[in-house]
Amino acid sequence: MSHDETEHGLKVVDAFDLDDEVRTLLKPGELLRDAQGRRHRLPRYFYEIPSHEVALATRLTAHFGLNEFILTDFREASGLQQYPRYVPCAVRILAFYLEELRERAGSSVHIAVNGAYRSPSHKLSENASPHMWGTAADVYRIGSTILKTKEAIEKYNELAEDVSDEIHVLPYGHVTGRDADDHVHIDLGYITLVPREISEDRMEQPQESRPRFAFEERRRKDRRAAVAADSES
Amino acid sequence: MVAKAAVIEDSVAASEVSLYRSLLRIREEHSLDNLGISFYDAETTVQWSYNADHYFHAASTMKLAVLLGVFRQVDRGELALDAPVHVRNRFTSIVNQEPFMLDLGRDADPDVYGHLGKTMTVRELAYWMITKSSNLGTNLLVDVVGIATIQQALDELEIDGMRVLRGVEDQRAFEAGLNNEVTAHGLLKLLRLIAEGKAYSQKACDEMLEILLDQQYRSGIPAGLPKAARVAHKTGNISTVHHDAGIVYLEKRKPYVLVILTQFPAEQGRGSAVADVSRDIFNTLAGNVYES
Repeated sequence: MSHDETEHGLKVVDAFDLDDEVRTLLKPGELLRDAQGRRHRLPRYFYEIPSHEVALATRLTAHFGLNEFILTDFREASGLQQYPRYVPCAVRILAFYLEELRERAGSSVHIAVNGAYRSPSHKLSENASPHMWGTAADVYRIGSTILKTKEAIEKYNELAEDVSDEIHVLPYGHVTGRDADDHVHIDLGYITLVPREISEDRMEQPQESRPRFAFEERRRKDRRAAVAADSES
Repeated sequence: MVAKAAVIEDSVAASEVSLYRSLLRIREEHSLDNLGISFYDAETTVQWSYNADHYFHAASTMKLAVLLGVFRQVDRGELALDAPVHVRNRFTSIVNQEPFMLDLGRDADPDVYGHLGKTMTVRELAYWMITKSSNLGTNLLVDVVGIATIQQALDELEIDGMRVLRGVEDQRAFEAGLNNEVTAHGLLKLLRLIAEGKAYSQKACDEMLEILLDQQYRSGIPAGLPKAARVAHKTGNISTVHHDAGIVYLEKRKPYVLVILTQFPAEQGRGSAVADVSRDIFNTLAGNVYES
């Protein structure tokens, strides 16, 4: 395992080092206001997922695969729908708590599309929400129960709150963003995670002398080659 | 060819009175409150209509406008047919933004409901919206492209006679009298553009036709035609209306576009009026050719 890989075999990347297009969409370190006007700083450390196969094969816990946390539809920015894809490192904490919930529910826990990580460029991302931190999940089904009634949502809200004081749920109701009527919303707040594989003093170094990951070097080389070709023609 | 077309045209002219009488008879037999018809025959270039500017509740014929709006966006490169869409049964009323869910019991499309919580592509949703009249698929696509875009598509193509305000099963809007409405002329114009490859691009029209030809509800226009006929069409049913609008392809002749809109008392239920009208018009336009 190289220094930038985790125990999952995934690379951890500092989003400040990513290509301009991706970095612009992920907005690492930017401050966003939530619906109450409080400001939160977006995460900068992400797992890089090289392919759909890797997303499917990577288990974050015994019952949750990484692919379940990156399911989005056309509302996600197109530049973030192609591999390699990125998900904030804190997603593994969310997976841990969902595994706990699964244990207590005694049934499978199903996350909706657009229900886990949504980038700040996602069309549903109006205000800051823990979804942009990879620390929120909208669960639409537990076992065979589709969560669309007050009774079902309140039952599993209660169960989720019992898992940990860290878990916040939205009450049953019909106002988007304030409550939920077709899923159980679970979030851990605005947690950012700096993986142990990362040395933060790297940020003290000048940008150009900072060590790069192999894929970054490849991209830089490609860009330089393209520039050279342009100047020759 | 010219002689054949002239004969048919003469035949149509000669039988116009009997066609009119026949339609009045069908209207009376089926106790219809209202009937609207329009057709255009590409073989003879004859266009004929009856009460074709009267606005009816659109029912599911509004899905033709949604299809048009989707392919507008696809043709402009603003939407991909293979783009995934979250299948979620939650929509907001146009009246007060109040959320509502579709009644699964009223929508006979397990193909879409079976994907709740997952994704389907725009192409799949468009397919089920038309071929099985999926309300869920329709509302999802309305959310994808937006009502404004759908109306813009109608305006750009100068399709008068179609008012699309909302998706389906928006009860609050229904109670407020905000309904989608169509005329026979409006639907005829839309289908003619598709049949003639003029709705955005030939490729877009080919794709729309392919979907429309797979229509699974065949008790309307197709029920009045020979089995060999292929019909690219969309039906529309609620408790008081039964419509069908389609392009009829018959062997050895150009297609004709036909719209039949019927309205009847709720307690009566729909009968075979649309099929009967379709049969009469087939006999008028092409029946003789087939017999000979």
